[in-house]
Order: sequence, then C-alpha cells, then structure tokens
Amino acid sequence: MNKNWLDKNTFHYSEFKDLHQLVAEKQRKKQTISLCLPTLNEEKTIAKQILLMKSELMMRYPLLDEIVVIDSGSTDKTREIARSYGADVYEANDILPHLENFKGKGENLWKALYITRGDIIVYLDTDIKNIHHRFAYALVAPLILFDNIKYVKAFYDRPIAIGKSKIRPTGGGRVTELLIRPLFSLFFPDLTQILQPLSGEYAGFREIFETISFPIGYGVETSMLLDIYEKWGLDVIAQVDLDKRIHRNQDTRALGKMSFAILKTFINRKRKLGMVDFKDDIYDEMIQYNLVKDEYKPDISHMVEVERPPMIEIPEYREKFNRTL
Amino acid sequence: MHNAMDYIDKLPGFVEEIKSIKETIISNIVLIGQIPSPTFKEKNRTSVFMERLSEFQVDECTTDGYRNPIGIIRGTSESKPPIFVVAHLDTVFGQDVDHYYTIGENSITGPGIMDNSVGVGILVSLPGIFRKLNLRFESDIVIAGAIQSLGKGNLRGIRHLLKTWNTPIRAAVCIESSELGRLNYYADGMIRCEVECNISTTNGMEYKFKPNAILIINEVINQILQLRLPQKPRSRVIVGKTFGGHKHGVIAYDATLGFEIQSTSDRMVKSIFNNIKDIVEGISHEYEVELKLKTISNVHAARLKFNHPLVKSVVSVMKKLDLTPVSEPSESELSIFLSRKIPAVTLGITRGENHHQKNARVEIEPMFKGIAQVVGVIKAIDNGVCDE
Repeated sequence: MNKNWLDKNTFHYSEFKDLHQLVAEKQRKKQTISLCLPTLNEEKTIAKQILLMKSELMMRYPLLDEIVVIDSGSTDKTREIARSYGADVYEANDILPHLENFKGKGENLWKALYITRGDIIVYLDTDIKNIHHRFAYALVAPLILFDNIKYVKAFYDRPIAIGKSKIRPTGGGRVTELLIRPLFSLFFPDLTQILQPLSGEYAGFREIFETISFPIGYGVETSMLLDIYEKWGLDVIAQVDLDKRIHRNQDTRALGKMSFAILKTFINRKRKLGMVDFKDDIYDEMIQYNLVKDEYKPDISHMVEVERPPMIEIPEYREKFNRTL
Repeated sequence: MHNAMDYIDKLPGFVEEIKSIKETIISNIVLIGQIPSPTFKEKNRTSVFMERLSEFQVDECTTDGYRNPIGIIRGTSESKPPIFVVAHLDTVFGQDVDHYYTIGENSITGPGIMDNSVGVGILVSLPGIFRKLNLRFESDIVIAGAIQSLGKGNLRGIRHLLKTWNTPIRAAVCIESSELGRLNYYADGMIRCEVECNISTTNGMEYKFKPNAILIINEVINQILQLRLPQKPRSRVIVGKTFGGHKHGVIAYDATLGFEIQSTSDRMVKSIFNNIKDIVEGISHEYEVELKLKTISNVHAARLKFNHPLVKSVVSVMKKLDLTPVSEPSESELSIFLSRKIPAVTLGITRGENHHQKNARVEIEPMFKGIAQVVGVIKAIDNGVCDE
C-alpha cells in the first residue's frame, strides 16, 4: 500500500486562500475552468450556489469561466431560478438528443462534458446548505498548482441537518463506512486513504473525464475513482478538506438503494478487471420489505445500472473538441 | 459654491448601477448573515465582517478597544470630520439555530435577515458600491459594525465606540434591514425592565397553598395598566413579553415579565419607572413573594427637528426615489448619536415579513433603491448639509 499518499496529497482548503495567486497561475497556464451543477428539484439551494460562485469566483476573481447547470427535468423552479441568476441552464435530455435518454446524476455529469468548454471541470452537488466558494476554488487549486495532480476529491467533517433548525457536530457517511470502506479494504487498500470516496464534489481535467465511462446513477463516484486509479494510479488523485458540508439527510431505505447501485458498479468493475468471477448473472432488483396491515410486502426497485461510454467515443464530442480516438 | 443636493438627479440612475453588482452585495449579506451572532457572542461574525471589509479594500480595517469592527475609507479633505455609517451586528437568535439562508427568485429567507443581516451586508458592500458609482468623499467614511446592541447589550458597542472616538463626527447614518421608507430622527427616552417572580419550591402541605407566580405577574400587569399616563409628554408602557410555569397542573413557581417604558421626556420615564417600582414592592409585600425589578437597558430622549437640514435632505432623497418617508421613534444606535449631539438618522433598506422569526424573508428588488438612498444621504452629508 502506498502509505505516503495521505500525507502528500491531502490538503486543507485554507492552503489555497490566495485567490490572486490561483488566478495568476491559471492565466499563466492559459487554462479554462467550468463549474458544472447537476440538478433535480433544487429550487431551495441552487440560487445561493450560483450567486456565490458568480460573485466570488467570476466577478471578483476570474477563476471560473462558466457556470453550467445540467438539469434532470426538475418539476419545481430550479431551471428558472438558475437562469435568473446567470447560469447556463440545460436539460439533460436536450443534450445529444439522438442518444437514448436516461435519468440520473451520472448522466448529467457525462453530458456536461459535451456542453462545457473548460480544460478543468468542477462538479458540485447542489443540495449543500452551507455552500461557500471554497468548495470550488479549493478543488481546482491542486489541479492548477501541481502538475502531477489530475483529479481532486472533497472530504468533510460532515454534520447532518436535523430537525428544522438544529445542527449536531458529527455524523453521516454511513454508506462509506458500511459499504465502500470494507470493499476498498478487501480489494483496493490504497483507496481507503480517500476519506470520503462518495463525496459529490470533485474536479478534474477534461482529458481524464473524457476517457472514462460514467454510470448514470449513484455508482458514478465509485466508478470514477476506480477507473482513475486503475488507469493513472493513486498519485494523480488528491483530496481537500473543505471543512463542513451541511445537506439533507437520507433515510436508511434510500441509502440501501444507493448501496445497491454502488455495489453493482463495484462488482462490474471487478469483473472487467478479472478480479472476480460469478457463475450466474447478478440481479437488477433491489428488494426491500414494508409491513402493511400485518403483512410483509416487498417493495421492488428495478435498478439497471447503465453506463455511458467514455465521452471521447462519441463522434459529436470528438468533432466539437477536435479529439481523435 | 455648489448646492449640497446637486447630485440628487443622479440617484435614480444609481439604482441600476448598484443592481449591476447584486451578486456581490447578496454574497456579503449571506456570508455574514449566516454566521450566528447572538448578543455578547458576535466574535465569529466580527471576524467575517473584517475579512470581507478588508477584501473590499478599505484604507484601514481594525477593531476598537471594545471589538467593534471598523473600516475607514479615507476622504480627500484632511479638515472635514468623518461620517459614520453603522449597523448592529448582533441578532436575537442563538448559536445553535441553523442560520443558513435560502435565496429565491426575489427573496432571501432565514433567521436574522431582517434584523440585521441585510444592513450589515450593505455596510460591508459600501466600499465596492462607492467604487462602482465612482464616488469619492471629502470626509472619511467610517464603516462600523456595532456589537452588543440588542436587549441586555444595551447599545454598549456603539456607546463605547463614540465615547472613545476623540475627534468630532460630522453626522451618522444607521442602517437597518427593514423597512424601506423608514426615517428615524428622534429617539424616545426608554427604560427596559424585567420583573421576576420566584416562589419557594419547598415540598409538603404548604406547597398546595403557595401563590401562583403567573397570577402575581398578572397582578403587576393589571396595576401597570391602571397607571394614568400623560398624552403630553407622550408616554407609554409596552408589555412586551412574559413567560413562566412548567406544567398545566402545577402552580407556577416562577414567571417573568418584560416591558419598556417609553416617553419623549426622560423625567417622565423616570417617574413612571418609580411608580412601577412602587407597584412591584407593594405586591411583593402584600403577597409575601419575592419580586425583583431589574433594569435591562435605557436610553435618553433625543431628537433632530423635522426641519433639521439632515432630515430635510433625507426626505428629498427619498422623494427622488419615489419613497414615502415614515417616521417613528427609534431606540437604537441612533439615540446614542443624537444624545451626543451628532446629527443622525436611521434608514431601512428593503421590505420583508416574519421580522424576528426563523423564517424571516426580505425582498431583493427594493434593496437597490434602499442602498441608493443611503448613498444619497451620505453624499448630502459630505456636501455639507449638517455643517451649518
């Protein structure tokens, strides 16, 4: 196990507070940066996210070159509000419309590669109550400042919002601790050093993202890590402590479904790598039980984990970005 | 010699100019307002206030001996006294309350947004706003966040700042989040009090026949209501809050009443206070209960006249921006400036609802007119309306 990695490639956001220096270095390297926000019914949080990023990292310090919202068909006012605060807003279904449509965060992230222009892309979840511009600048900083780093993940001290207005100091990360960390410990011990592998905030170079496939749903963070680790090794990855992230808590059933999708992605990756062999196919249904009037009834969720191929395999993308296979 | 109000026609144009940096203004409101800042625990908000102020390149950024954060924009004249622009930093919400704001299409929602996050955010944005409007002033502009203002804070922050500021002050503008259109230029004399009733909680038979603290407080209220208050000088007692008791079926052994005595005359405030003190002592004696009357805070009556040049110029500024001035007495930072004979007004920035609740909400759009109004008044002061 590469034990130096944690010391060498773990940062705290406060190390990158000098935004003048970051902007100067970005300009010297002639880099462009896109912020991508995947949304589905985020009318309560999206405006603050766009407004803070635009004010601090576009108007005051020209670090970001664009803010792009990719929406999965929100039924609330997410798109309208995002547009009114100056983001470029797209519906995922309208991007590369000749392809079969899927709904999911991974789908939005993948399609963002076609829409955005940046050399560096920052992905931020949009349910963050305590959003601050450090969430973006601290993720791109190692990419700008250190030539060896190509992909940066966030980690946090994660308080979970409880009740309507109270906060407790620690908690969260149940899927990480109960599923991901045991799996990584069993099969990829190097990756256990990534403290929050499921965090939804990360940044990387386009050349990395365009050559990996994207599961359309929950598995996207896991697959991204595994693929980058397999292709380029641990040293291109860094992690940044962004302090606190306050977000909605999910119930155990929802986390069960999330775990199902992640586990499937993980198993598929292991199969691809020839590390495991199953005689039979694995199933696509997550079965949970409810007690309804003294009777146990199954609640079956059909969860086919479709994966988008590396974006570079899409001809329209190669043409738009002047890429060859 | 130029007219002190010759810039006034530019004010409607200022509104759009200010709006063009709305992202920065709202960011300041949100980033500072989301830091909990209960009275006496304003340290974290003060730090962020200073951090943001220094980022917006004021000429000096410091705290006074009482830890009120202050920024100074140097003026072009060395002889003109400074103009103060202040907003109080403390809120009525505790540190464990979720202070994260929600921004909607045309609103910001969250605890403290109406008192006084918008005011504080605008204060910090002023250097950027002046730059955007290409405005320079003869006077130094002193941007001050006042700590320990509310309730038991008793305006200690601003009192200390003015007590230790040893050069003359030209005039002051106090900023409050709401309501747009308010024009406060006089402060009533005020004493804010609490009456606490505590009944001994000894167990036993005696317990059943103990007096009820809530009923005792009720008697205090009844006797206060029987006081004859004069219409001249205008005086009133506001019964503002009361709480007490523990369970539906148990006689209350503690209760508290909070009230304010307000009058245009300090002597009348003192006289009413003495009457209430007699009431409290009488009830304590007759019912054989422990009743304590405590003074939480007090301010002296002070005022500008309506025909004071500062008030007249604020009215002109408001009218130019199609705002209708509404005036009431205000017991805030304003009263401390006025009691030191410093011309001052309090202005509101925007409209909103649910004033002191966790879901307080302000409208974004009217804010830009509210800011233009503040800029207009500062400009009037700088042009000399208070100098005669």
